[in-house]
Amino acid sequence: MARSIWNGTIVFGLVAVPIKVFSATESKTVHFREVHARDGGRIEHRRICPRHRGLYVVDKDDIVKGYEVSRGKWVELTDDEIAAAAGSRSRRIEIDHFVPLDDVDPVYYERPYYLGAQDKGRDAYALLHAALERAGRAGVGRWVFHNRERTVLLRPLEDVLAIHTMRFADEIVDPGEFDLGRVRRKPSEREIEMASSLVEGLHTDFDPSDYEDAHRADVLELVERKAAGKNIELPPDEEPEAADDLLAALEASLASA
Amino acid sequence: MARSLWTGSLSFGLVNVPVALFSGVTDADLHFRQLHAKDHTPVEIHRFCAEEDLEVPYEEIANGYETDDGEIVVLTDAELAAAAPRKTRTIDIESFADLEAVDPLYLDHPYMLMPAGDSEGTLRAYRLLVEVMGRTERAAVGRFVLRTKEYLALIRERDDRLTLTTLRWHDEVRPAGDVPTPTKRDRPAKKEVDQAVALIEALACPWDPDRYEDAYQKRLKTIVRQKSKGQAIEVPDEEREPSPVPDLMAALERTLADIQAG
Repeated sequence: MARSIWNGTIVFGLVAVPIKVFSATESKTVHFREVHARDGGRIEHRRICPRHRGLYVVDKDDIVKGYEVSRGKWVELTDDEIAAAAGSRSRRIEIDHFVPLDDVDPVYYERPYYLGAQDKGRDAYALLHAALERAGRAGVGRWVFHNRERTVLLRPLEDVLAIHTMRFADEIVDPGEFDLGRVRRKPSEREIEMASSLVEGLHTDFDPSDYEDAHRADVLELVERKAAGKNIELPPDEEPEAADDLLAALEASLASA
Repeated sequence: MARSLWTGSLSFGLVNVPVALFSGVTDADLHFRQLHAKDHTPVEIHRFCAEEDLEVPYEEIANGYETDDGEIVVLTDAELAAAAPRKTRTIDIESFADLEAVDPLYLDHPYMLMPAGDSEGTLRAYRLLVEVMGRTERAAVGRFVLRTKEYLALIRERDDRLTLTTLRWHDEVRPAGDVPTPTKRDRPAKKEVDQAVALIEALACPWDPDRYEDAYQKRLKTIVRQKSKGQAIEVPDEEREPSPVPDLMAALERTLADIQAG
């Protein structure tokens, strides 16, 4: 197991549960970096001050952070002053209340972590785990991590406790902001029924291990071909098109399902 | 409206719906700029080629892969698309799942999936999918490629539109098996669990995301305001960590009594 990334205490009421936080995820994406297409040269991001004649590259030590309070008027802040916004510097996750997990829309979940028990207070960990499991609820609390206060959801996950950092409501885009356009004719009952049969025909019990990321291997193979000096054939450009006859497309889909 | 991040087609059997992908989150954060200290001019970030010491326009930037022996293999976005031409343009719906069957561990980033263009055929096919997914309460599972990465996606109806949430691949979620957990000896007594459950019930409420505000952003705004008036910023001290209580039962009882007393 990877090392823990944070140590602290879960607090609910007068009960304190000492825990260690472990990341529950790891990215397996094939990593690329920005290069200059013609010579493969590494791309450097340089800071340029436009006020100074020509391309004046600013040294890192001559950079400060600022917030524009009104046009052209900047308030300078040090890293310590920004860090002060983290609020309480305590190493505790306070649980304020408990919610049914099914209530939570998937858009709010941000990043999951596992909680490990510390040697001291393992009984409190076991109690919290057992009680959450029996109550069928998840705790909601606040966690200051990397100088930032987040809302977290605490839940039992098999034998461990897990926390999820949650997005704030004002970070979620309102679907109503997207215009749906107007249709002259709504989908007919017959079309809806046929599409529903297609949905039922493709229904499975979701198992994440049924889906492999085959693309990683394809990308690495492409890299090898390019490295061997082979030509890579570019796919032709195609514009996506909607079916003219929705009913006919549904019928054909059902026939071939 | 924001620019789309990807356009392509959502394919459901032989029904193709041209769609555009938009971010499902907005950045509500207060942003700081890097300033040149001596005159508070916001600095600009320019891209330079380290080999030639020359500024490089955005169109000349490609993807570099470093091999084990340190060689850089250069691939353009168009060449990368050749790894999976169909998936670069099409989300093929492979199956339909129950939303509750998808553990939140797998949920990654939310997006909005909207019809691309306003032809009658496109809008009707989109409406049909929205209607059917809403009625059956099922979510579609498919995959698509955006630049260098393939995404597994869960698509469902939300407010008469389609929301797409990318999912982590199963090998990107770590097994929890090595996380230290209590042993059988730490198993709580039944009356302790009863008491803890009573405490949870006393603090039960529905999930209401509007209830939680981003206190960090709020404090940051206050700090900016104070600083602009020339006030000093106080950095809070580190607080002591609470230690585990020797008597869990007593702590539970006292907490419950505190809640009941209001």
